[in-house]
Amino acid sequence: MISGNSPRSSGPAVLIENLDKYYGTFQALRKVSLSVDRGERIVVCGPSGSGKSTMIRCINRLEQHNGGRITVLGTELNDDVGNIDGIRREVGMVFQHFNLFPHMTVLENCMLAPMIVRKVPRADAEATARRYLEKVRIPEQAMKYPGQLSGGQQQRVAIARALCMQPEIMLFDEPTSALDPEMIAEVLDVIVTLASEGMTMICVTHEMGFARRVADRVIFMDGGEIVEQAPPDEFFTSSRNERTRQFLSQVLGH
Amino acid sequence: MVSLLRNQKVRNALLQILYVGSIAAMVLAGIVIARQNLAAQGITSGFDFLFKSTGWDLNFSLLPATANDPYWWYFLIGIINTLFLGTVGLTLATIVGTIVGLARTSSNELARLLGRTYVDIFRNIPLILQVFFWYAVITHLPTPRAAHEGWGFLLTSRGLYIPFPNVSSAALAAATLAVIAAIALPIWLGRTSRLSLPVGQRGGIQLAGTAAALACAAIILVAGRLADSPLLDFPALQGLNLRGGLRIPPEFATLAIAIAIYGGSYIAEIVRGGFKAVGKGQVEAALSLGLGPWRVFMLVRLPLALRAMLPILANQYVWLMKATTMGIAVGFTDFFMIVALTINHSGQTIEAIGILMAGFLVINLSLAAIFNRINKAIALKGNQLRA
Ligand SMILES: Nc1ncnc2c1ncn2[C@@H]1O[C@H](COP(=O)(O)OP(=O)(O)OP(=O)(O)O)[C@@H](O)[C@H]1O
Ligand SMILES: [Mg+2]
Repeated sequence: MISGNSPRSSGPAVLIENLDKYYGTFQALRKVSLSVDRGERIVVCGPSGSGKSTMIRCINRLEQHNGGRITVLGTELNDDVGNIDGIRREVGMVFQHFNLFPHMTVLENCMLAPMIVRKVPRADAEATARRYLEKVRIPEQAMKYPGQLSGGQQQRVAIARALCMQPEIMLFDEPTSALDPEMIAEVLDVIVTLASEGMTMICVTHEMGFARRVADRVIFMDGGEIVEQAPPDEFFTSSRNERTRQFLSQVLGH
Repeated sequence: MVSLLRNQKVRNALLQILYVGSIAAMVLAGIVIARQNLAAQGITSGFDFLFKSTGWDLNFSLLPATANDPYWWYFLIGIINTLFLGTVGLTLATIVGTIVGLARTSSNELARLLGRTYVDIFRNIPLILQVFFWYAVITHLPTPRAAHEGWGFLLTSRGLYIPFPNVSSAALAAATLAVIAAIALPIWLGRTSRLSLPVGQRGGIQLAGTAAALACAAIILVAGRLADSPLLDFPALQGLNLRGGLRIPPEFATLAIAIAIYGGSYIAEIVRGGFKAVGKGQVEAALSLGLGPWRVFMLVRLPLALRAMLPILANQYVWLMKATTMGIAVGFTDFFMIVALTINHSGQTIEAIGILMAGFLVINLSLAAIFNRINKAIALKGNQLRA
């Protein structure tokens, strides 16, 4: 049960130990270990197919791991449905393709989970939703439907929707990769603000400028393994790993 | 001139004119020939026959009907019979289709296999054969004296006998409304914004609403019962015949079952397609917010699948509505059969077929119009990005 493991318990926010993940016979993650402290901001990068999405999707059980341990806020992620529900309540996720509920207004998208999962009264849920929509700078879109918004606006709604659950940890899986260049900044700005307020976050992204600006640590993955992790200064300037340097030269365009 | 013929708009218009013109010519020719033939046989055309009495009986009617009634009354009964059979058949087909379709999308391998087998079998046998099959099954049930019995139901070759409340028809109608309310009330209570209680905590109110509506139905039934008779009328053997209860004639049962099972196999595929069309991303987003599997189904998968299904479902319903004309194969007096009998007895072929076509057009266009409205009302707003 989650009850004994209140979010405020001590220890790392996310602890991943020797994580293995197979799709059929294909091994997508090999003995991945990672510890993320509360308030820490992690950027994960690496070539396509290296297992970045798989790793962060294991953290809220969108994928089930096959070996090793994942502990989130002191609760181990296993087959216990109570643990899974408890962890999902505390971990928000933002997806590459926004994944808003197209049949609900922006406001309803934001109010749904707090009302049902957290059992927040409607008026409070609405107040919270409006506050976060203000925060992502689209309060005027509350009554629109997702299909009526631009990609950047939709992604900001998705961030607000996750925040309305007041999670302890936020996961971002390439939040800007599906956006046109002029919309990337408006979404990144929101995430930067969030980071500056001390949110624990793990963000998969290829936006290296963003990584430099907010990350406490940059993780480089390749072939289902964490190849290197370092603070951004070190990572971008003095990495000695061959695969890292090759990847950096590609994304930075040198 | 040549350049004018190359203009796309001109071309389309010319094609339209040719098309409409040729159809009009065919219809006109048909009418002229028919008139000549009819005159030769001494039959007067026109709709006067509608007010003559028919002189034959109906084997199934929801309204009183005798051989003295005029044709127009019989046509009305035919339309009502068709609508009744259609409503029962489509409702059952939808239930069957939903169950089979969900089985086909389930994660359980056996359920998927059963669902697939069902669809493969019943979709690939022509409806007329299935109608004959079920008719054979039902008419080979035992005679009333040796009827299969269970829970007060009797299965016989003379029909299905079911227990039926001994109440006035007004009370019966009111009770039916109350039961519909019992189903609709919790749905409304679960979605309305008039309650300040959060959606997740409305179970109690919803349960109370249903209980109250059901209690109303029970009170109406008890209050409306006919004097000096038991509340529920069980069918029972008296002499050589069955008395009491409600008799569902074999012809109606056959068609309802055939449409339910055949239509169900098509609807199952539509249901499956609808659920497959729901983006995995929306489901994952709902899960990541902590919603449980039931809530994800009710709040995300079902509403999105319904929107994908509805346009195709409307087509299927219109199609199944036309399938009620199979009534003539087993002698159920639906609209089509009454028209056929009318032609036999009165000789007013053109007029009767005209009425038949107009009737079906009205029924099916109304059905399509209703679905169009629902579709428009629930359509997703804005551009949909397929992720
Ligand atoms: N559902 C799945 N079934 C089978 N293989 C999968 C599945 N999901 C991912 N994989 C495989 O696992 C590997 C890691 O995938 P993952 O999505 O984690 O990569 P990624 O680092 O996020 O790549 P990208 O930058 O393209 O998003 C890939 O080789 C991918 O083909
Ligand atoms: Mg990925």
